[in-house]
Amino acid sequence: MCLTETLDEMVSNGILSPELAIQVLVQFDKSMTEALESQVKSKVTIKGHLHTYRFCDNVWTFILQDALFKSEDFQETVGRVKIVACDSKLLSQ
Amino acid sequence: MADQVLEGSQPVDLSKHPSGIVPTLQNIVSTVNLDCKLDLKAIALQARNAEYNPKRFAAVIMRIREPKTTALIFASGKMVCTGAKSEQQSKLAARKYARIIQKLGFPAKFKDFKIQNIVGSCDVKFPIRLEGLAYSHGAFSSYEPELFPGLIYRMKQPKIVLLIFVSGKIVLTGAKVRDETYTAFENIYPVLTEFRKNQQWYDF
Repeated sequence: MCLTETLDEMVSNGILSPELAIQVLVQFDKSMTEALESQVKSKVTIKGHLHTYRFCDNVWTFILQDALFKSEDFQETVGRVKIVACDSKLLSQ
Repeated sequence: MADQVLEGSQPVDLSKHPSGIVPTLQNIVSTVNLDCKLDLKAIALQARNAEYNPKRFAAVIMRIREPKTTALIFASGKMVCTGAKSEQQSKLAARKYARIIQKLGFPAKFKDFKIQNIVGSCDVKFPIRLEGLAYSHGAFSSYEPELFPGLIYRMKQPKIVLLIFVSGKIVLTGAKVRDETYTAFENIYPVLTEFRKNQQWYDF
């Protein structure tokens, strides 16, 4: 979100070309997926009441209420959380 | 479970259900024509609890919680509503889906609502000799335990398909009105008692 806002600002100020901004976003997604695959080992489970879901254009959107985030060394409940997810195989294409 | 509660709370009308057992309706499938072309992608993007994956299936799959149902919504404006437990609930659910489509800006109507299938089930609470039943009702029965553990009974009048299991659990499907389900069960009940299994392998 912050990255897209900054890029938007830079594009509208003429510092960055829209094409380059898009490329930065694509690279961010790629690098994040790579980093999550290779460097992050901990697992988190999320459990809550599924208030809303959507699947469109190969993107899942979930809104959970009273979601419990659980990992090995901490757990926390969140009143409302939005999860946006897609198939990682589609990113690498 | 639910039917036992019902049996306890209100007495069964024995003139209509001589067996004393009323099949519980488990699923109602209905269709309706919203009578306008729909932009499925726009619907999937705006509505909640919608799935749209045109590569796999050419309809939006939408769910509501009350009545707990699922709808298949096609670009032609035709809609299928499944999962309701009664005819009225199925119609109410279909109306709610039509309302959602209207709220998204489509001129949806509610044309030709029709119940397409009613599925019911019940438990006669005694085991059944399926082989004997299949043998004496050969024209209607198909029992191939290697393919499926239940006996498939295709009743001619009313035209209902029954799945009969050794355990005494019965599934009735194919009805357009609930009385067909009830009549089919009353027709089969004397046959089931005839082929009641006496000895049980798991006797203590």
